Amino acid sequence: MSKVNPDFVEKISGFTEFNAYACINCGSCTALCPMGIDLLPRRMFRHVMLGFEDKVLENTEEVFSCLLCKMCEENCPKEVPIVENIKSIRWYINRDIFKLGRG
Amino acid sequence: MSDKRRIGVYVCHCGGNISDYVDVEQVRDAVKDDQDVIISKNVMFACSDATQQEIIEDIEREKLDGLVVASCSPTLHLQTFKAVAQRANLNPYQYTQVNLREQCSWTHRNNMESATEKGIKLVRAGIARTRLTEPLTNIRIETKPRTLVIGAGVAGLRAALALADLGLAVFVVEKESEVGGWTKKWGKMFPNNRLGNDTIEYLLEQVKQRENITLFTDAELIEKGGNVGDFSIKIRVKEGETVSLDVGAIIVATGFDSYEPFDGEYGYGLNGVVTLPQFKEMVDKSNGSLNFNDHQVKNIAYIYCVGSRQPEDGEIENPNLYCSRYCCSAAVHTASCVADIDPNINQYHLYRDMRTYGKYEVMFENAGKKKSLFIRFDDESSPEVEVSNGALIVKVNDALDGGEEIEIGADLIVLVTGMVPRENESLTNVLKIPIGLDGFYNEIHPKLRPVETVVDGVFISGTSQGPKTLAESVTSSLSAVSKSAALLMKGYVDLEPFIAEVDTDKCVWCGECEKSCPYGAIEKVVCDTKEVATIIPALCKGGGVCIPDCPEDAIEIKGYTDQQIRSMIDALAKEVA
Ligand SMILES: Cc1cc2nc3c(=O)[nH]c(=O)nc-3n(C[C@H](O)[C@H](O)[C@H](O)COP(=O)(O)OP(=O)(O)OC[C@H]3O[C@@H](n4cnc5c(N)ncnc54)[C@H](O)[C@@H]3O)c2cc1C
Ligand code: SF4
Ligand code: SF4
Ligand code: SF4
Ligand code: SF4
Repeated sequence: MSKVNPDFVEKISGFTEFNAYACINCGSCTALCPMGIDLLPRRMFRHVMLGFEDKVLENTEEVFSCLLCKMCEENCPKEVPIVENIKSIRWYINRDIFKLGRG
Repeated sequence: MSDKRRIGVYVCHCGGNISDYVDVEQVRDAVKDDQDVIISKNVMFACSDATQQEIIEDIEREKLDGLVVASCSPTLHLQTFKAVAQRANLNPYQYTQVNLREQCSWTHRNNMESATEKGIKLVRAGIARTRLTEPLTNIRIETKPRTLVIGAGVAGLRAALALADLGLAVFVVEKESEVGGWTKKWGKMFPNNRLGNDTIEYLLEQVKQRENITLFTDAELIEKGGNVGDFSIKIRVKEGETVSLDVGAIIVATGFDSYEPFDGEYGYGLNGVVTLPQFKEMVDKSNGSLNFNDHQVKNIAYIYCVGSRQPEDGEIENPNLYCSRYCCSAAVHTASCVADIDPNINQYHLYRDMRTYGKYEVMFENAGKKKSLFIRFDDESSPEVEVSNGALIVKVNDALDGGEEIEIGADLIVLVTGMVPRENESLTNVLKIPIGLDGFYNEIHPKLRPVETVVDGVFISGTSQGPKTLAESVTSSLSAVSKSAALLMKGYVDLEPFIAEVDTDKCVWCGECEKSCPYGAIEKVVCDTKEVATIIPALCKGGGVCIPDCPEDAIEIKGYTDQQIRSMIDALAKEVA
């Protein structure tokens, strides 16, 4: 059971505004990813929007294994800024979890 | 009628549709020497222009007085060949269509021998019937250039305007004290955000400007007599008075009702669980912020398909199996309106399928852009609404995340309720129009004869026929208008002459038939000092319920006499040599 937390997405939006609301869950991104990352971007983004912080953190490795190659983004039918979103998630993990950066 | 008849028989190939499975040459030869058959021919396409012309020439040259075309279903081409007969000056009721395609070749594709044998019998039955035909004339009824519209929602009001502008007088009967139906309640409506109330005000204003529209509010239709083109109706108007009118056509626009969830259905009854109409009224009335119970609303969960697309697993009695069409669109549109009021409200849409069809897709996208989140659930795992620590929560398995069980805390839970048929038993009884399996009024055929009912001259429109958006309701009401106008502006209707006829020699006026006729089409008259039954042609529908009730066997239906039916049975039963 995961509790929806609408405030979580705010935490992610410090770098640029996290925005995957146009996503229609078509799954093209997941299918095309050369790294074969199962969660990214579709389900990961869903977890962010629904506020499942633990699920995002459980998959930190996936977040960082992304090549930022934009294969997904180029082919997203809804023009979701996928790579910017991934960067936002990284930014949040670096700052809040790894406590990196200059505060 | 002379005993000898001159009958032409045409057995159609239907370009292979028939001849691939039935040996049409054998059929032709089998009947060519039958009694009274003058011509027996094969044709490639009986309905083609050239063949129609050929048949006409044959009728004229051979002085045929009976015609049999063995081809497709009469639904398709009965009128075609009746017209052929007419053009050759042969009475169209001396024509018989034999259905050799739908009822023979298409149904027996694997056994040509038997199919051919059946084909021969069917054609013989057609010939037998034709041998006993008599020339009949249609019953012509002069139509009244006036229409009754029942219900003054958007469908009824729009119909009234269109009829009036075609020059027909209109009477509108609305049972409430105000016109407008559901639309009058709504603020912004999709797709263009025009206020529902404005639409109704506009239509009412237009109605008032037309002298040939009479509007009765607080009124009800209580009686209907007569027939297509000439109905006599009685309306109960205010203060218990009644008004009697003659109209040529009737348009039913009595609308829908909103599904009322049962107690406990998705938490219905709990504080904060509302239906879509209730929610829409809250949103329409909200000013600057959306409040509930004096608190600003932060989180809203929508549960879709409530009361629609219900499962047939036996848990719900008479489940509504249909999709209510309007509700996905209305819900995402309302969510957009909510985001415009307060963009910080979180909105979660728990849906089964998103049916924002056609152009309404854009509204779904817009709702997403305004941060609505869409969570799909499978039919087998409906969301559950609970109260936890005094707050509403809804639990659902997110099908788009591998069925992960999630829990949403919500200030408001909106049940996206569907459309259901309106309770209208007394009207249905007065009009005698049929109700479909889903409880809405039934049109004859959704594609070929929409808005028409089996009661000639009575049309159905708008949501009285089934779930529709406003635009669709108006489209269907205008379709009913064109059907009514086509009927009334010609000035007359021709009814088929297949009505009952009393043999006054046999009749002893016992009155049994009068009792059995549901249309009141039988009355007593004195004929040569003898009391007998007589049929009122305009009222008789040719249903024939009086026939078995007559102890003297004195009634027959013209065109379907006992003798004809018996001769057909004999022909069908006879062995094919
Ligand atoms: C919550 C909600 C939101 C909606 N939002 C939209 C939207 O944004 N856009 C859109 O296109 N559509 C919307 N719709 C659908 C729209 O409301 C309907 O399509 C429209 O109201 C149908 O009009 P109607 O005339 O067929 O029926 P109704 O509006 O039901 O009108 C029927 C009329 O007939 C009268 N009547 C009934 N029985 C009798 C009788 N026996 N004798 C005399 N009078 C009778 C009734 O009193 C009523 O006035 C919405 C519907 C709902 C429930
Ligand atoms: S390709 Fe785009 S729309 Fe499709 S699932 Fe991925 S992010 Fe969503
Ligand atoms: S940008 Fe990242 S998630 Fe997208 S295809 Fe490339 S590696 Fe996969
Ligand atoms: S329109 Fe949408 S909410 Fe309404 S019944 Fe159909 S699928 Fe369900
Ligand atoms: S039931 Fe037959 S006999 Fe009796 S009144 Fe009618 S037609 Fe005449």
